[in-house]
Amino acid sequence: MTARDILLATLDTHLRETEAGLSAATSDLVRALRAAIDEGHLELARETLRRSVVPSLDYTTAQTLARLQQELGRRLDVPGDPVRIAVLSSLTTGQLVRLIEMFLFAAGVKAEVYQSEYGVFRQEILDEGSGLYRFKPRFLFLATCWRDVGTRPDLSADLDAVSNLLNREFASWADLWDRAHRRLQCQIIQNNLDVPPWRALGNHEARHPASPGGFMARMNGRLFESAPRYVTIHDLDHLSSVAGRWQWSDERFYHHAKLPCAPEFLVDYAHSVSSLIATQLGQSRKCLVMDLDNTLWGGVIGDDGLGGIRLGQGDGEGEAYQSFQRYVRDLGRRGVILAVCSKNEEHIAREVFEKHTEMVLRLSDIACFVANWQDKASNLRAIASRLNIGLNSLVFVDDNPMERSIVRHLVPEVAVPELPEDPAGYVHALERHRYFQSVALNPEDLQRTEMYHANVERESAEASAGSLDEFLRSLAMVARVAPIGMGNLERATQLINRSNQFNLTTRRYSAGEIMQRVNDPNSVTLTVSLADRFGDNGLISVIIACCADGVLDIDTWVMSCRVLKRGVEVFVLDHLSRAGLERGLGVLRGEYVPTAKNVIVRDHYEALGFARAGSAEDGRTVWELKLEGEWQDRAVHIEEAQGDGRAS
Amino acid sequence: MDGLRNHVQDVFRSVFGDETLVIQDATTADDVPGWDSLMHINLIIAMEKRFGVKFATAEIGRLKEDGQNVGTLMQVLASKMGRIQA
Repeated sequence: MTARDILLATLDTHLRETEAGLSAATSDLVRALRAAIDEGHLELARETLRRSVVPSLDYTTAQTLARLQQELGRRLDVPGDPVRIAVLSSLTTGQLVRLIEMFLFAAGVKAEVYQSEYGVFRQEILDEGSGLYRFKPRFLFLATCWRDVGTRPDLSADLDAVSNLLNREFASWADLWDRAHRRLQCQIIQNNLDVPPWRALGNHEARHPASPGGFMARMNGRLFESAPRYVTIHDLDHLSSVAGRWQWSDERFYHHAKLPCAPEFLVDYAHSVSSLIATQLGQSRKCLVMDLDNTLWGGVIGDDGLGGIRLGQGDGEGEAYQSFQRYVRDLGRRGVILAVCSKNEEHIAREVFEKHTEMVLRLSDIACFVANWQDKASNLRAIASRLNIGLNSLVFVDDNPMERSIVRHLVPEVAVPELPEDPAGYVHALERHRYFQSVALNPEDLQRTEMYHANVERESAEASAGSLDEFLRSLAMVARVAPIGMGNLERATQLINRSNQFNLTTRRYSAGEIMQRVNDPNSVTLTVSLADRFGDNGLISVIIACCADGVLDIDTWVMSCRVLKRGVEVFVLDHLSRAGLERGLGVLRGEYVPTAKNVIVRDHYEALGFARAGSAEDGRTVWELKLEGEWQDRAVHIEEAQGDGRAS
Repeated sequence: MDGLRNHVQDVFRSVFGDETLVIQDATTADDVPGWDSLMHINLIIAMEKRFGVKFATAEIGRLKEDGQNVGTLMQVLASKMGRIQA
C-alpha cells in the first residue's frame, strides 16, 4: 500500500467511528499522519488531516488533531496572507481558539488569531492604543457569555423599567461594535446569551420580563432584531440548547478555569464560529447531491417497484425517509441547489418523483437529475460542470459506505458526510457539518432552483436558435443597474465572496469593508440585476472601482457564471466608461490575478479592447483602456430598465 | 496499581502527544513538558472519558498544586473507580 492508500483507509475508518461516537480508530489515523509527515509527504498529510477534522470529534481527539495541525503548519507554509481574526472575551479562550484555528484550516482558510488578555475585552475596544487596533483584524469575535450582561433588572421591575434597561444594555454593546467597526472596518461576530438552565422562578421564569432568564431571552431577541449588518450574531444560545443546557454549562470548568462551556462542547462551538468566518470568505458549500435508494426512500426502486419501496405514513422507517426529504426540501427552498446522482434507470428513478404520493421532493426541486450506471465520481464531475459550480461546492449523501469511500478517494474536493444506518439519523448527520452555513438570506437564494431550471431551458433555447445573436435577442434581457447600497449590500457581499470563476482579482470583503468603499467619494460601485423571458436572475454582477490620478481603477469585478456569454460584461463596460468620463478620468484600468479557478477571465480585458499595461511573474496582468470624448455604447442585447427592472 | 498505571500512562501519552512518555508515582506537573493549566484541563477530560469518572471541582484544582503527583492522581482515580465497581 502506498502512503496515500494507508491515509485514505485510516481516514475512512476514523470518519465512520467518529460518527458512531467512538474514538478508538483515531490513534491509527494519527500514527499514519505522523508517518506521512516523517516521510515528507507533507501535502498528503495536510489534505488527509483537513478531511479528518469534523465537528463530531470528541474533545481529546480534537486536541490531538489540533496539535498535528500546528506541527504541520510549522513545516509546510501555505502561501498568501492569513485572514486576521481577533478574539476578545471575559473567559479563557485558549482551547477554543486552538480549535477555531483547526476548523478554519479544515475549511482551507489560513488564519492568524489575536487573543486579548483574559477579561479585558471592553478595555481592548475602548483603548485606541490597544493590541486590538495594532493587530487590525478583518474579523472581530466577541466571545462573550450570559455572564457578560452588564445590567439586570430587579425582580420587581415593571415592564417600562425592564424596557429601559434593555435599551441601555443594547446601547452599551452597540457602542462597542460601533467603536471597533469605525476604526477597523471589520466584520464583528457577537455571541448572544447562552441562557443558563437554572430558574429561580421555575416555569414562570421566561414569561416574567424582569427575571434573569426572561431578561436574557428578551435581550437575545433584541440582538437579532437590532444589530447592524456588520455584526453577525452567533447563536450561542442555540448551541447550548442543542447540547443540553446542564451539560453545556458544566460549572466545574467555569469555576476552575473560566472555560466558556464544558470542554466537550468547545469542539462544536469552535466549528460553529469557524463556519461563520468561512462562509463570509466564500468557503461554504452550495449544492447537495443525493443518492436515491435507501437514501431518499427505503429499498431499491429497480427491484421493489413503486409499491415496494418504504416511504411515508404507516411505517416508521418510511416516515424517517420522508422527514429527511422534508429537511432537504427546506434546504432547497433557502437556496441550496439540489441534485440527484443515482445508479438507476433514469425513467424508473424519475417515476418515483412523478407518481409516488408520499414523495416530498418533486422533480421541480431538483436542479440536475443524473441516474445512470456510470461511476458516481464521473457523475459528480458532470453535475458540477452542468451547474457551472466547482466540485468543492458539492456535498454528496449516500447510504452506501462503499460509494462514499470511492467518492472520497476519486473526487476529494466533494464533501462526503458519514450517514448512520438508521435514516432517522440522516438529518442530524448532515446538519451537524454546517456545510451550507449562512449569515443572510437574499431574494436570489429563494429563487435559486427556479433560476437553475430556467438555465436549462435557456440552454435548450440556445441549441435551437440559429445564431448566438438571435438567441441573445430572443432572451429579451432587461438589466437594472444600481450602486451598492443598504438594499443590496448582503447580496453584493455574498457574490463577492462566493464567486470563484468570473472573478478578476478574487479579493474578499466583509460587508463592513464594502460599506467603507461605498462611503468613499472616490469609489464607484456598480451592481447589475438581470431578468429575461425565462425568469429573474437577480443581482448577478458587482464592480468596485476607485478614482485616483486620472484613472478609474477596477478593484473588483465579479459575475455569476449563470449569465456567462450574455453580453453583461460589455454592458458593464459601457457603464464604467461613462462613469469614468463623467469624473473627467482618461483611463480605465483593470487587473487580472490568476487563481486555480478563474482562468475563464484570463483574457477578459483583452476581449473588451483593453491594452496590456504590465505583468508580473506570478501571472498578474494589468490592462488599460483610454477614455476619450463621447463614449459610444457597444451593441448588446440588454435593455436597461428604469424602476425595479424585473421582467413581468 | 500497575494495570491502572499503564492505562493512565496511555492517557498521558495521548494527551501530550508523546508515545515515549513514562510516568511514575513521583512524577509531578513540573516533570512533564507542556503540563500547563490548559493541558491540565485536557488531561482531566481525557481521564474522565477513559475511566468513566467525574472529578469534583476541588480535585481538579488540587491535582495540579505543589506537592501533588501522579501517585495522588491514581489514588483519587482508584477510589472513584472502586466506588463505581462497588
